[in-house]
Amino acid sequence: MPPISLGVDARQGRAAQWLYDSRFRSIVAQALVVGIVAWGFWYLASNTQENMARRGLSTGFDFVFGTAGFDISWTLIQIRTPAPYIDVYKVGIVNTLAVSILSIVFATVLGFAVGMLRLSNNWLVSRLAGWYIEVLRNTPLLLQIFFWFIGVFTGLPPPRQSYQPVEGFVLNNRGFFMPAPVAGETLWITGVAFLAACIAAVALHRWARARQAATGNRFPSILAGFGIVIGATGLAFVTTGMPLSWDIPKLRGFNFTGGMTVPPAFCALLIALSVYTSCFIAEMVRAGIQSVSHGQTEASFALGLKPSWTTRLVIVPQAMRAIIPPLISSYLNVTKNSSLAVAIGYPDLVAVWMQTSLNQSGRAIEIVATTMLFYMTCSLSISLLLNVYNRRMQLRER
Amino acid sequence: MPTEARTPALVFQAKPSLPPPPFTVGPVAWVRANLFSGPVNTLLTLASAWGLYLTLAAFLEWAWFDAVFEANSRRECLDKSPTGACWAGVRANWGRLIYGPYPLAERWRIDFAFLALVAWMAPLWIRAVTGKIAIAASVVCAYPFFAGYIFLGGSREETMTVLFPAAVLAGVGVLVHSACCILAGRSLPDLLLQPFGDGISDKSRTRILAGFAAASYALAFVATSGFALPQVKTDRWGGLFLTLVISGIGITSALPSGILLALGRRSTMPLIRLLCVCYIELIRSVPLITILFMAKTMFPLFMPQHIVVDELVRAIVAVCLFAAAYMAEIVRGGLQALPKGQYEAAAAVGLNYWQTTLFIVMPQALKAMIPNIVSNFIGLFKDTTLVAIIGLKDLMLQVDSAGKDRDWLGLFREPYFAATAIYFFFCYCMSKYSLHLERKLSAGNRR
Repeated sequence: MPPISLGVDARQGRAAQWLYDSRFRSIVAQALVVGIVAWGFWYLASNTQENMARRGLSTGFDFVFGTAGFDISWTLIQIRTPAPYIDVYKVGIVNTLAVSILSIVFATVLGFAVGMLRLSNNWLVSRLAGWYIEVLRNTPLLLQIFFWFIGVFTGLPPPRQSYQPVEGFVLNNRGFFMPAPVAGETLWITGVAFLAACIAAVALHRWARARQAATGNRFPSILAGFGIVIGATGLAFVTTGMPLSWDIPKLRGFNFTGGMTVPPAFCALLIALSVYTSCFIAEMVRAGIQSVSHGQTEASFALGLKPSWTTRLVIVPQAMRAIIPPLISSYLNVTKNSSLAVAIGYPDLVAVWMQTSLNQSGRAIEIVATTMLFYMTCSLSISLLLNVYNRRMQLRER
Repeated sequence: MPTEARTPALVFQAKPSLPPPPFTVGPVAWVRANLFSGPVNTLLTLASAWGLYLTLAAFLEWAWFDAVFEANSRRECLDKSPTGACWAGVRANWGRLIYGPYPLAERWRIDFAFLALVAWMAPLWIRAVTGKIAIAASVVCAYPFFAGYIFLGGSREETMTVLFPAAVLAGVGVLVHSACCILAGRSLPDLLLQPFGDGISDKSRTRILAGFAAASYALAFVATSGFALPQVKTDRWGGLFLTLVISGIGITSALPSGILLALGRRSTMPLIRLLCVCYIELIRSVPLITILFMAKTMFPLFMPQHIVVDELVRAIVAVCLFAAAYMAEIVRGGLQALPKGQYEAAAAVGLNYWQTTLFIVMPQALKAMIPNIVSNFIGLFKDTTLVAIIGLKDLMLQVDSAGKDRDWLGLFREPYFAATAIYFFFCYCMSKYSLHLERKLSAGNRR
């Protein structure tokens, strides 16, 4: 009987050992990939350097203090005139954040409402909500923005025939005008009172929860908290002599002056973003509530909880666990989608910084890098928030 | 038998069941339960029915009863009916919406390439046809070269001279093969090998088939050598056609590159993982429009002086880079959802990394992720509208140019409506198809 061969003879063995060693192979593969990527970067960087030298372009961030030779149509913050580039960057960020945060608020409210209607027992209502979601989700956001901008807000009547449902709130083709609050000298007292009342309400709520956990006695802390906040703030406001007046927009000449003005582009972007995002949020709400297993409802009924308590104490807390993570990432999407403002001339970060400033100054690399830096900061802070939430809410499984 | 016949009175006879109480079954009961089950529901139903009636009535009046279907200019439309829709304008501009500024005499090429794609892909849905993976691969690898030349035209450069006949051959091969499968019930290689008898070895089979392929390639090369189309530069591309080209390339490239990135992100090699994570997170955290702007302004800086990259190619590269990162996250979701036992079982059977990935992991992960993949595709299709912002003449921008035409000055609403309907049609079909696919593929999990 011949000796059993192991398949690899001694001569091949040494080479094969190297070839089949997974650690060796992984090192080679990584070196190869990193080498290719590094070469790609080097190639692009050397080309860039060469091209910039030939065109006589310089790099560096000194340009941000130079004067930007253009006006920004709408700003929320005070800027120097003539504005240096750094102020343009600030205005872009503030405008982007303003439209994003407002859209997030509206989209959340609208989305939850539509999601609830989608789940309604009423066949007609649930179908209508379903079509609302289906139509808005399946058409591009840019198209919707143009619809609101061209079809609605720039098609409004001129200032002399503007809509004015309530004195001071004016809607016409120049935008939306509303009264601006003018703070009196002693308004800060009301602010301090409001803050103090908030802290007191939170403390009360904590105490009530601790007491309920210890003794089982319930205390209507939410209602009491609202009472404290409203009562204390109102009291402070009235005793200091109501130090707040309103600057109401009035028709002078061909346009309204005074008060606060929001341009049509802002209105169009705000409504388009809110409506578009609301249909995604509605789907998240529906999916989240449907993901709570039926057994939970049955168990809660078996314990004798009434339907409204079952919804509030059993279904919603569990549904929220499924709703909140995608909800937070949809907030990030709103921030990113607000960059479509450039198409209708709303001065957001991409429009004033990545388009106008880039064309004016020619500092492509610096401007693209700083734009991306802003969006990455938003993204990273939102992922951080998400991770914190996930860690806190994770089910403790056995 | 006789015993039963003798005692009939003892057998229990059920009385016929009574009809259900009135209005507990049938349409009336349904309406009661679903529309008028309580005061709140009744109010909701009435309010929404009223709102629906108002909207529908106004819409139908504009879009149908007051609409003008035949007219030669917007003025004529307004004269006929000032409040209705001017669908005549959409009809006159339909070609512009679909083909953009593509030359009128050459538009048949787009139709032809589109029909060729339909014919090329139709065998994938026919049960009798074998070798579906090869057909799908030929669509992905060969069709772009075929369509690329049909769309672009002009004189063929070196690579195109070689690849265009190959692409034509692949297309014809697929068609002939499918015809053989449907009509004769046997695949094309089988029929080609028939004259050589049954007893030939695998090696000689491969040789014979390679010989056939080489001969038909030579034939295709000669046959297409005289075939030339007038050149249409990419700046004349536009309309729905351009939208489909960009999103088609983006969608096709996103899946393979996304899979590679996802595998890289889950790899055990730290450097590769780091690179993939950085790429995915960087791309996902910035809006597509910034990437498109970057492609527009910085691409020329990145490339050496003698290489001039076409504006359309730049946009397509940007869309592909963007789509890959999003697809990678979706595939990673599918990979993470896979039970660990699958990997362990594959290792126990003795499969290596690529075998495990290809035969065990990917089929299951992709199947589980189909809804997400399709919704990502829909998102990408919608996002291609952004190329209008950097000046490509896609469907979005054609709507604008229709309203700037001399005869149809100011006609915006109706073309917008048509474009919305086109986008909605494509996205809605995709989402319904994904639902169908999901149901079909999950048959194994159903109890």
